[in-house]
Amino acid sequence: MSSGILGKITNIDRRILYWILFVVLAVPFISPIGLPVFVTPTSQAMYNSLNSLKKGDVVVLGINFGVSAWSECLPGSIACVKMVVRKEAKLIVFGMGTTDVAITWNEIMSKIPAFGAGTYKEGDDYAFFGFLPIQETTINLMATNFRQVFTKDTKGHLTDDIPMMKNFNGAKDCKLVLSSDTGDVGDYFIRYWQVPFKVAVGWIGIAMNASTGMTYIRSGNLVGLLSGVRGGAEMEKLIGEPGSATTNMDSISTSHLLVVIAVIIANVAYLATRRKA
Amino acid sequence: MIPIDVAAYPTEITGIIGIWVGLAIMLMIYSYPMYKETIAFRLAEHTFVATVMAITIVVNIDSLLRTSLVHLFTGEQLYLIIPIILGFAMYALIFPDYRWISRYPIAILVGSSLGLGMAASMVPSIVSQVISTATAPTTGAAIDWFNFAFIAIGTLCAVSYFLLTYEHKGIVKGPTQLGRYFIMIGLGAYFGNTVLFRFAMLSGRALFFLQVLKIVPM
Repeated sequence: MSSGILGKITNIDRRILYWILFVVLAVPFISPIGLPVFVTPTSQAMYNSLNSLKKGDVVVLGINFGVSAWSECLPGSIACVKMVVRKEAKLIVFGMGTTDVAITWNEIMSKIPAFGAGTYKEGDDYAFFGFLPIQETTINLMATNFRQVFTKDTKGHLTDDIPMMKNFNGAKDCKLVLSSDTGDVGDYFIRYWQVPFKVAVGWIGIAMNASTGMTYIRSGNLVGLLSGVRGGAEMEKLIGEPGSATTNMDSISTSHLLVVIAVIIANVAYLATRRKA
Repeated sequence: MIPIDVAAYPTEITGIIGIWVGLAIMLMIYSYPMYKETIAFRLAEHTFVATVMAITIVVNIDSLLRTSLVHLFTGEQLYLIIPIILGFAMYALIFPDYRWISRYPIAILVGSSLGLGMAASMVPSIVSQVISTATAPTTGAAIDWFNFAFIAIGTLCAVSYFLLTYEHKGIVKGPTQLGRYFIMIGLGAYFGNTVLFRFAMLSGRALFFLQVLKIVPM
């Protein structure tokens, strides 16, 4: 009887697992558990870098993730931009994702009251340059000659006419780079901005990039790292404004518990049925 | 309930239609893994591909206009004609008789990218990593020393596993086998992080599903 059940477990239809997973992910949103979020040193380091910004410092934000990765990268990006606004630093925004840069930037602005209230003004406090292709060479060129890459912002204002851009020509005028991406753009900022110009680079990456990011943290090439939704939740805790990442963490934690349980059951069932065979 | 940082269920008709269309397409896509391949899935898949392709073309043409063609036609930067011609040469791929022309832009692109990338990645990806691996911690904390030893031994053993100019036996058998375990631990951690990423994406979709149905606030 037990081997029959174990046999069925090893051959369970994967669609059943998907349905269970979806339910396990959804339930914590309806009934939050409120599991504690502990701050890791890399997120703390990112917060410290943002907290050390002074009024008027220029921060570059690279949005290099699509809508599909919003749950991973967006909360951390929002929390970091909140800190930039709080410190009254200037923000230059662009991205290398064809379809998503403008949508994502609008989403970030919609979550931060200072943009809607007009206290953080376009042109004076921030500039949005939109999409540009060819990631590596563009970032390289941008480091030394920003105006050659972006002659206008997305609304057609000449870069030279944008007040906050008057004294900005490239990496040497930048205090901090925030690279929010699902791929290698953080690497490019390290290669062309951090190494030659010693610009501080912080990475808001997906969890998959955590392993890569940690090597750069150890070597001092990155000043901070927010690893996926977990990093976003930590940053939300640090700035004292819980947001969607904090809400998501319960869901992520329960889903991981499900996977651990499923792996244990599947291995026990496999070993039991193999022994019997 | 943990506060969500915004409460913005759309009020305009376009916004409401937008989120319901989003939900419908999401369910159509999920019908494949959670049920089976259906016409609804194919419709959503093709709609997605077509939409992304359309937006990509428009955005790239707009980018080309803004960054290159405007400066070319105004005579400010005439040299931009060279990359534009090289770009058009890529389309020679379509014509079998003239396919050879496309090799020139591809060769230039690959060569320049490789040269740029190799020169720039030498310091952060190799020199800095060797220095950070070989530098002992300045603090006396036991965990720092453990990490230092773990990373140094792991790096040496993992590298030795990939040195194939000698057989992995005798004195090098132990380190190479240990290196194999370090690689497996590393790949396991990488896979774990990948699962976390995928689940986070799915979690976002689950939240969207509940928000559109007004089960949780948007």
